[in-house]
Amino acid sequence: MRMINFAKRNFKELIRDPLSLIFEIALPIFLLFIFQQIKIPEDLYKLENFTPGIIIFGFSFITLFTSTLVAKDRGSSLLIRLGTSPMKSSDYILGYILSLIPIIIIQDSLFFIVACLLGLNVSINIIFTILISIVVSILFIAFGILVGSLVSEKASGGVGSVIVQLACFTSGMYFSMDLIGKGFAKVCELLPFESALIIIKGVLNSNYDIISTRNIIVFISYTIIILISSVIVFKNKMISDNK
Amino acid sequence: MIAIEIKKLTKNFKDKIAVNGIDLSIKQGELFALLGTNGAGKTTTIKMLSGLILPTFGSIVIENMDMKKDMLKIKEILNVSPQDTAIAPNLTVKENLEFMAGVYQINNKDKKIDELIKQFKLDEVLNKRAKTLSGGWQRKVSIAISLINDPKILFLDEPTLGLDVIARKELWKIIEGLKGKITIILTTHYMEEAENLSDRIGIMVKGNLVEVGTSKELIKKTKTKNFEDAFISIATGGKL
Repeated sequence: MRMINFAKRNFKELIRDPLSLIFEIALPIFLLFIFQQIKIPEDLYKLENFTPGIIIFGFSFITLFTSTLVAKDRGSSLLIRLGTSPMKSSDYILGYILSLIPIIIIQDSLFFIVACLLGLNVSINIIFTILISIVVSILFIAFGILVGSLVSEKASGGVGSVIVQLACFTSGMYFSMDLIGKGFAKVCELLPFESALIIIKGVLNSNYDIISTRNIIVFISYTIIILISSVIVFKNKMISDNK
Repeated sequence: MIAIEIKKLTKNFKDKIAVNGIDLSIKQGELFALLGTNGAGKTTTIKMLSGLILPTFGSIVIENMDMKKDMLKIKEILNVSPQDTAIAPNLTVKENLEFMAGVYQINNKDKKIDELIKQFKLDEVLNKRAKTLSGGWQRKVSIAISLINDPKILFLDEPTLGLDVIARKELWKIIEGLKGKITIILTTHYMEEAENLSDRIGIMVKGNLVEVGTSKELIKKTKTKNFEDAFISIATGGKL
């Protein structure tokens, strides 16, 4: 299978970049640990609420490093070589997505090990959360492919950082959206990060009532639109980059 | 037997004509050098022949297969060594060979990889990451990778650009070893490279293929002393 072969290569490229491991795994774990030491008297910072936030934070770095990998591939002659091979567009996109799934599983597992050591209840919900977070991660990976297809390697870092910030400030992981104002809360509702966080939070805490129909519609719509856009833009860029 | 048959091959980018109605036949096992000044249309021609971009007009037949109808089948039998080194930087040399063997779904991949390691004397760098290699080694690995699928057609785009004399001579030796077995289309800015390696040379000027022949034929035709002068005469229309 060409896509598996491409995924293996992408996985090796990603895990051999120490910066990617620091930001995707070490930094979120550090934040999880530090915020539990501070003991902020807010429900948001309780382990059962903050761990899902850390998962979303870790995913935002997946977007950043996926965009860098895609932009780097586009900038090098490797994609020219692959473009003359029998690989199809679906092999590229699925190859990028599949390469990140093991990283997502490693990331989630380590986050939960640390969270459990800090006092999170060990339950079967953790397994369900890891499984649902794999689905949620597709949105973040697709964002990465889209950004990496649109901008250069240098710019991908900057644009990726914007997504990291957006995920932090519009997901509700650090503060309630209503604190800033109703207008801001409305904008957050229209962006996918809050919905993604609520879905993960609901599954971890077996509290499915907090997941509204709006959350599901917003999340699924963004995932489908961004995924389709990333396929179209990547394909078109591969042709236009070669002109 | 004809390996590549091009008829009226044209590529327009908006209102600019990059390649203007080229007709050309290349025989099986021939090493054909494509020369031209910067912007002459060489790389665009190679990109169309290797299926990277589609022609605006004209036809390409490779090993009796039409590029428009049999693109995927054609891609199985050709390979490219692009101008810049096209290897995965964080993968070792062996992993790069394995990766490309996977791309072409090579059945006996271990045997093929061992063959290439011997042919290109890659033992000493086999477990080194590609990004840590010198430019000469990277180019060597890049060409080795392009032979992973035993291509019938091989495109070498400026294979020795930026290499020192020794690395260049080493690559010439490798390319000479491939002559006759594979149909090779080589683009280069080095006149001595084209003269020494190729069976025939085509010269492109402003998107047109203006002359095709052996180096001796082109020297004779332009009444010049050497091939470099012949090229300059053709490329400038005798103005220089």
